[in-house]
Amino acid sequence: MKLIQPNLRAHSSEHTSVWPLRWPGRGHWLGFLRRATLYALLWLIVVEGDLSSLWIGVPAVLVATTASTALRSPATMILHELFRFVPFFLIHSLMGGVDVAWRAVHPRMPIAPHLVEYPFQLPPGLPRVFMANTVSLLPGTLSADICAHFLKVHVLTDRRDTTSELRKLEQRVAALFGVVLPEGALE
Amino acid sequence: MTPSDYIAVPLLVSGVMFFLAGSAGLLRFPDVYTRLHALTKSDNVGLGLIVAGLVVEADSWFVVGKLLFIWLLVLLAGASVANLITKGAMQRGTRMWTR
Amino acid sequence: MQTLHFILALLLFLTLGAGLWRAVVGPTAADRMLAVQVFGTTAVTITLLFAQAFGNAALRDVALMFAVLAAVTAVAFVRRAWSEVGVDDDSE
Repeated sequence: MKLIQPNLRAHSSEHTSVWPLRWPGRGHWLGFLRRATLYALLWLIVVEGDLSSLWIGVPAVLVATTASTALRSPATMILHELFRFVPFFLIHSLMGGVDVAWRAVHPRMPIAPHLVEYPFQLPPGLPRVFMANTVSLLPGTLSADICAHFLKVHVLTDRRDTTSELRKLEQRVAALFGVVLPEGALE
Repeated sequence: MTPSDYIAVPLLVSGVMFFLAGSAGLLRFPDVYTRLHALTKSDNVGLGLIVAGLVVEADSWFVVGKLLFIWLLVLLAGASVANLITKGAMQRGTRMWTR
Repeated sequence: MQTLHFILALLLFLTLGAGLWRAVVGPTAADRMLAVQVFGTTAVTITLLFAQAFGNAALRDVALMFAVLAAVTAVAFVRRAWSEVGVDDDSE
């Protein structure tokens, strides 16, 4: 057993920039309507369908929609891709839970932690943050830092081909945000 | 037991098992990074399974929606916080355990 | 069914115990923060089980608030109380 010092200061960290303010222009009203529907549904869920609360619910939904439209990220998810991503995520996060639970209760604790630097192909911003958060819930990987050009990942075991798994995940995240990856640029 | 209980009970019980396994990791794993692995993943799955069990027992769709919304919030918080803690610990030079 | 929910909630209190132990022992500030994160998730889960066991819908809203506040608290803590890079209470 030996201790190593992760060398992190060598790379400057990329900070997620504040999303630029945008107001709905022509053609954005459909998006506004879509958001308003989503928030109205959320309101009904929170009040468990109590319609007498709508006198405060309607203004709340309008304020939330305006605020979120003003603060929205340039990157947005594609709805039908989300329906493809969710089952993938559920299955793999379940596998992640089973994997780490097994290692935690195993008498010999079969772990061999190490760091992996995964070069990003995704554009900076929300897609990268989304990927980093997903990585932490998938089997054996934990996002350590979002750097300018790569994602630093803490890996629990050396039994897996982490890089190719991350590549597959990155492709799914790219599809979710409708991003085309520069394929083969790093091969 | 009603028929739905036959689905709900295994979900709820296995959910709690994941929480207990997460605690085992919290107590046994050698450094903060490996403990974060145990907690983010097993608590996420544990709560997910318990929410699934409660969804089976739920008596309205609004309750189902609220349960799923709560899970989504905890999921988002867990993953982001794990990220922040890992980054912070590395910047502060907390050593990483290796075999 | 109600009994089962209570037994499960009781088992989850053991999880809180493990978290408390980790919060006390540390050894780093990160470990303590991690323990706080466990408290948040476990509190949400226990409250949801109680909401079902007692048939009390208001407890689900309590769980919702726990979920929202757990996120805000943890992020605020990391950003504010822990942002200065300095000597940690790491005993290693």
